[in-house]
Formats: sequence, structure tokens, C-alpha cells
Amino acid sequence: MEFAGKMISLVVLLVVPFVVLGDSCLSPEVKAETYTTTEAIVSTETVFIVQFTLTCKNKVRDMNLYADINGRTLPVTKTDKPDLYQVSISDDHKKLSSGKYEVRLYDEEGYSMLRKAQRSGESVDSVKPVTSITFNHPGVSKGPFVQSEFVAVVIAVLVWYFAYSTRSQLQSSN
Amino acid sequence: KEKLLVLAVLISFAGYSLSEEENVARLLASKNVLNQYLVEGRDLTVQYTIFNIGGSAALDVNLKEESFPEQDFEVVKGNLNVKWERIAPGTNVSHVVVLRPLQFGYFNFTAAEVSYKPSENAASAVVGFTSAPGEGGIVGSKDFDRKFSPHVLDWLVFAIMTLPSLTIPFLLFYRSKSRYDTPKPKKN
Repeated sequence: MEFAGKMISLVVLLVVPFVVLGDSCLSPEVKAETYTTTEAIVSTETVFIVQFTLTCKNKVRDMNLYADINGRTLPVTKTDKPDLYQVSISDDHKKLSSGKYEVRLYDEEGYSMLRKAQRSGESVDSVKPVTSITFNHPGVSKGPFVQSEFVAVVIAVLVWYFAYSTRSQLQSSN
Repeated sequence: KEKLLVLAVLISFAGYSLSEEENVARLLASKNVLNQYLVEGRDLTVQYTIFNIGGSAALDVNLKEESFPEQDFEVVKGNLNVKWERIAPGTNVSHVVVLRPLQFGYFNFTAAEVSYKPSENAASAVVGFTSAPGEGGIVGSKDFDRKFSPHVLDWLVFAIMTLPSLTIPFLLFYRSKSRYDTPKPKKN
């Protein structure tokens, strides 16, 4: 009887960690594809789309994730494909300037800890994310720096000036 | 007059939401095209925003976008069929998809479908629609380039074409100048 009792407690001790950790992701693997707006002539706002697959060794699926990007905290969108998630933000071109951006992903637990830290004013870096994705935004192009018509006019004026000055030089020397 | 209209809309909105039951979720969804020009072969950005104006969280929210036929629009990035587990009351979520039109012409941007459960023990899901951006004209790529591209190649060709009318007289002048140019007479 004592032995059975010990076995039961041993089994319970072995199972409990998995039950507790059942919801969090062990050794997460993430593969991401990102899109950032490149043309300001056509689009009115800059958008970032981070599409990623997150797989965990303990096969946790359909997780409720939250993303922290550029100071904004928002829920991650789930898709109809398993393990495929998407984070999207949009803002004025000026507010999303070129540079490196980091997306930190949190699970439910991490998110509540993050909110607690934000409310108490603590540093957000103390909360460890499940994983993070970095990407580069090359910036939006507003069109060529100098209009080609302007360059053509300048060159034409220079050619005319060269001809005119040579001509007046010749005339004055005669 | 405009201010009065805005005020009237706000009051009716507030009155409506005050009369709302405290434990039901209600979603409003908008669909916007974030483009100044719709051009064939260039990115078309569609943004969806879902607001929960109800008193409790909306559960099992699904957004299904089926109004872009595959032969007319190519998906550059983003998913057209997405979901959120819950949207808290008084918050909103946003989703962006980038497409590329493969044809030019008029296209009617219609609504996408949103479904959700307004409360934990709701019997069935509520189905609604986003706002529809309406009809837009997708400009052909040639027409857009004619107006907006820098035309560098065209200018180079033009420069090359003007060269004969400039260089031939110059060469003639230079040749005659070098042949008949007498050195200046020495001063005694």
C-alpha cells in the first residue's frame, strides 16, 4: 500500500509539470515573412505585415499570442492555416520611418505580466517574450529626388550658355 | 451645419450604446483601401478594423474575405481568412492584406464577412459585414507610368537625337577655326 502511494505521488509529480507547462511553448521555432510599404505615391499609409509560423516542441497549437511592436501592444491574428499567424500595423509614412523593427511575441501569461509591468511603470524588458522577430523597413520612396525634366532643362541651358559665351567671345575678339 | 450633423451622429451613437445590454458584444467592422491610386501590377493595401462597442468580449471572431477573385488579384502578403479568439469590450483589432491587381478597369470593392459569438453561452454565431469601399478604377500600368515614371530613357534618347544638330556645326566650326587660326602678330 505504501509502495502504491509512493507510485501515485511519483506519477503525479511527473505529470504536474506538463500540466502546468501545457500552455506555454517549449523551444519555439519561428519562421517569418515580412512586408513593408515601399511606394508613397500609391499608398496613403505605411503598413507592416509580419506573417510567421510558430512551432513548439510540445506541439501547442492555436495559441493566443500578443505582439509588442514599435511601442504598440496588440493581439496576434490567427489564420485558417495551423501555426500561421499574422501581425499587422499601419500608420502615417512619417511615423513608421525606415530602420530596424522588433516584434516581441508573448503568450497569455507573458501578456498579463507585460500589462502589469506597463501599469506599474516597470521596464518592459524584464518580461521575457516567447520569441521575437526583427525586420528592416527600407523606407518609402516618394519618387526620384530630382525630376528628370528639371535635369534636362539644366543641361539644355548649360549647352546654350556654352555656345553663347563662345560666340560672344569670338565676336568681341574680331 | 457640419458640426450639428457630427453632434447628432455622436449623440445617437452614444444613446445607442447606452441602451446596449451590458453583457453582449457588438462588433462594427470597417474595410478601407489605403491607396491613393489603384494601379495594375502595384500594391493595393486593404485594411480591416473591427471595433467592439458592446459591453462584453466578442468570442471566436472570424473575418472572411472572398470578394477578390484569384485571377484578378494576387495576394502579396497577408491572409484573407483570419480569426481572433476574443476581442475585449471597448477595444479594436486591425488586419491588413496587400494585394496586386492583375487587370485594369473598374472594380467594385464589396464587403467582407465577419462572424462572432456575442457572449459565452450564445447559441449561434452572429454574422455581419464590413463596410464596403465602393467602386474604384484600377489604372493600367502603362497609363500610370506615362504620368509618373521618371522617363530617364526617353530623355536619353532625346539627348542622343539632338546631338547631330549640335555636334555637326560645332565640328565644322572647330575644324575651320583650327585651320585658319593665325597666331597673334608679335609686338615689336
